[in-house]
Amino acid sequence: MAFKYLLIFFLSLSFIMGCASVAQKKPDIYEIKVEEFSSSVKLLLSDINFLKEEILKVNAKRPSIQRIISEADSLWLKGDVVGANLELERALRISKDESALYLRLAHLRLEQELYKESKAFAARGLLNDRISSWEILLLNIYTKKQI
Amino acid sequence: MKDKRKGSIKIFVILLIIISLVFSIAYLTLLNSKVTNKLEGALWTLPAKLYSRPLELAEGSNINIKNILKELDLLSYEETRVIRNPGEYRLKDNTLEIFLKGFQNQNSGIYQVNIETKKIKEIKRADGISLDLIRLEPMAIGGLYPTHMQDRLLLDRSRIPKELIQMILLIEDKSFFEHKGICYRCIVRAFIENLKAQEIEQGGSTITQQLAKSLFFSSEKTYRRKIKEAIAAFFIEFHYSKEDILLAYINDVFITQSGNRAIHGFGLASQFFFGSSVENLSIDEMALLVGMLQGPSLYNPARNPKGAKKRRDLVLSILFNNSVLKNEEFNALISKPIRIIKPTYKSKSKYPYFSDLVTLDLKKNFKDQDLRSKGLQIFTSLDPLIQTLLEQSMVEGKQELLRKYGSKLDELQGAAIVVDTFSGEIKAAVGNINPTDFGFNRVINAIRPIGSLIKPFVYLTALRQHNKYNLSTIIDDTKLSVPISGSEVWEPSNFDKKYHGFVPLHKALWDSYNIASARLGLELGYDSIQDTFSNLGIEKNLPNYPSVFVGSFEMTPIEAIQAYQPIASGGFFAPLNAVREVKNLEGQMSLSFPYKIEQRFRTEPVYLLQFILKQTFVRGTARGFSDRKIEKWKVGGKTGTSDDQRDSWFIGYAGNYLALIWLGFDDNRKSPLTGRSGALQVWKKLITQLDPHASDLRTPSRIEYEWVDINDGLLSDKECRNSFLAPFIRGTQPKVVSEERKKCRVSRKISPSKIISKIREVIDN
Repeated sequence: MAFKYLLIFFLSLSFIMGCASVAQKKPDIYEIKVEEFSSSVKLLLSDINFLKEEILKVNAKRPSIQRIISEADSLWLKGDVVGANLELERALRISKDESALYLRLAHLRLEQELYKESKAFAARGLLNDRISSWEILLLNIYTKKQI
Repeated sequence: MKDKRKGSIKIFVILLIIISLVFSIAYLTLLNSKVTNKLEGALWTLPAKLYSRPLELAEGSNINIKNILKELDLLSYEETRVIRNPGEYRLKDNTLEIFLKGFQNQNSGIYQVNIETKKIKEIKRADGISLDLIRLEPMAIGGLYPTHMQDRLLLDRSRIPKELIQMILLIEDKSFFEHKGICYRCIVRAFIENLKAQEIEQGGSTITQQLAKSLFFSSEKTYRRKIKEAIAAFFIEFHYSKEDILLAYINDVFITQSGNRAIHGFGLASQFFFGSSVENLSIDEMALLVGMLQGPSLYNPARNPKGAKKRRDLVLSILFNNSVLKNEEFNALISKPIRIIKPTYKSKSKYPYFSDLVTLDLKKNFKDQDLRSKGLQIFTSLDPLIQTLLEQSMVEGKQELLRKYGSKLDELQGAAIVVDTFSGEIKAAVGNINPTDFGFNRVINAIRPIGSLIKPFVYLTALRQHNKYNLSTIIDDTKLSVPISGSEVWEPSNFDKKYHGFVPLHKALWDSYNIASARLGLELGYDSIQDTFSNLGIEKNLPNYPSVFVGSFEMTPIEAIQAYQPIASGGFFAPLNAVREVKNLEGQMSLSFPYKIEQRFRTEPVYLLQFILKQTFVRGTARGFSDRKIEKWKVGGKTGTSDDQRDSWFIGYAGNYLALIWLGFDDNRKSPLTGRSGALQVWKKLITQLDPHASDLRTPSRIEYEWVDINDGLLSDKECRNSFLAPFIRGTQPKVVSEERKKCRVSRKISPSKIISKIREVIDN
């Protein structure tokens, strides 16, 4: 008899939790409509220099990658796009998991007017597993940028 | 009459003198211009040098210590108990202590790399300061040579140690700064000695004469050559300073022969014998090289170590007698054994099949003449470790096949290539199953039918049309007859000679059914498959006959791996490339080869295809790996076998690598090998040793998983027999429930353990 009540209790509990899990379904954060954001996001879309400033603020998770990124940023700011690109690609060979790299490569290609490549780097960056909402939003700008 | 004759003779003699004078002046002018031209560098052809990728050791990176030690061995590092010199290392517990030789921005010095659970935990300098990453020097893997095959590394004055200069002068030409190119005293002494011996035994040549000989003349020992040499030496001294002459000598003197490659100058010789730059040479190493000048072959330490040591000790004793060395220094130096490294490569290149790919890339941007004469430094993407593992896998793979199938496979050939899935960088290439046999490069030249390797291209075309095709779409694998011309009919058959009826798309591909594939290809049409071909980077047009869908299509290994690169990378196309950057002689950038990535396919259809290709390892022809490995590597692949088993293919990706293996005979004869029994076995060997780590990628947002039935593709359940969890693009999941599920739902019993596991599942989510 006790077993029967226990069974009913477990069944009810599993039913309630099952319903709760359906209700908690995560929103699809990877498909952000960047156009629907605030005015500062709209500024990111329209002002490439403002966008670059924001990109350069995104750091890598691993210190070894951040060290190469710092070198690349310094070359980039001096106008040495080729040198900066070499450093970023060097870092990409060490780790393919850093959004900071895909963001920079996407922006660098955008500056070079290589639009397909810019979109491709951003799209690949979006496939990474460990990625923040801000990085997703920034990468989305490149994949959706109308050139 | 007599006077007339005398007059004629006189005129003849005068004419003869004038003609001789004219010819002499012309010859001297020519020699003079030759001297100036050559010494000013116009004729110093410097071959382009090829380098592998440098290995980066970065904090937080996954590391396989066995593979690091292999790399150190390839770079001629030596394991020691106490580290004193560049090129030495020690592995104690979890710490690798290494004295880097240094290269470009990476300083030479001692570094400690702490490794824990197969990851680099910490990197420290000798003074205890923590670093994030260090870089090993790239390996010299060959060159692009002029026809005379002379090879050298030019040194400037600042890089030449003063001890080396002092040694050269003491041994070769004590009065170098006193004479004007010719040392008459030395010539007289040598002349008398040679007269006594009735042949030329001794040279009285100064450094300037030796330079003249090396630059312009053969090694033939005649008085005529000696005179020409003396004249050229005079011109050299006339035009150049003593310092310039010495520098030219140090860069040009012939040191040794390695295969058909001639090693000139101390810069390259120190790399060749000691794997070190000339600045890092010890006194005894310098003495060894200087000792070789008198007899490059006789005193070659590789061929005649005893003779080389005797000669080195003689040089050291001359230094001692001239008070350059103190007694204790001298005694310590002569007690040192001769230690030289194994030659890195003897022919034009250590990896000629890879070098061919480099040349193909470079010829698009450089003139052949410039490649062979301007001393360019070419930094390639070759990974020496992967190359070594690939070569080993090919050799061992063939040996195993020979043991299994006997001598009928004696002449079996092969080609293999490994690329980075995302960037398309070529990491390794082998154009012959015996990698040390150079010749026909099958990677780029063997055009062969690719068998079932074509099927994923057909299925990708279908999956791109996601409103029409998903993994559960039913494909017809019943008898197919296609009229091709007149009364001729083409009727494909499956490998097992059976018809499988109506099968879901996923099963049709992972079981590689020919008839289903052909029917699907015909249904999709040539144009839509041609579009997929173009996006995959296949430059050939798809022929307009149905047998192409089951494998009669021909490709070279490099074309095939290029076509799979976008599939392996999730839809991103990158043209294959073997060169990263080219620097000029001064070390400045001449040309860089940045990544060229394009998204050619949406991630979702490629994800679906990757899921099926993964099943090759889960339940298909490549099964046998543990679930842990399959997940760690994020593996996927396809076997291919052409008609009558003339070609055995396997292509597969694991971690960041995509590797292709082809086995077959050059004369296209039948073999007992299928893709599974041949090429796959070599691929398995390679990837097992490489043990790569895949990046953590998320599932594309529009992908949802459903339990479906393996055999009919309809909705099923985890608990049901023959069910498996398959991905679908949102909204394309099957809606009909399979018969199997209906049965298993009825028969399912509720047990407490099932309830607990359900609760756990809910909590976990």
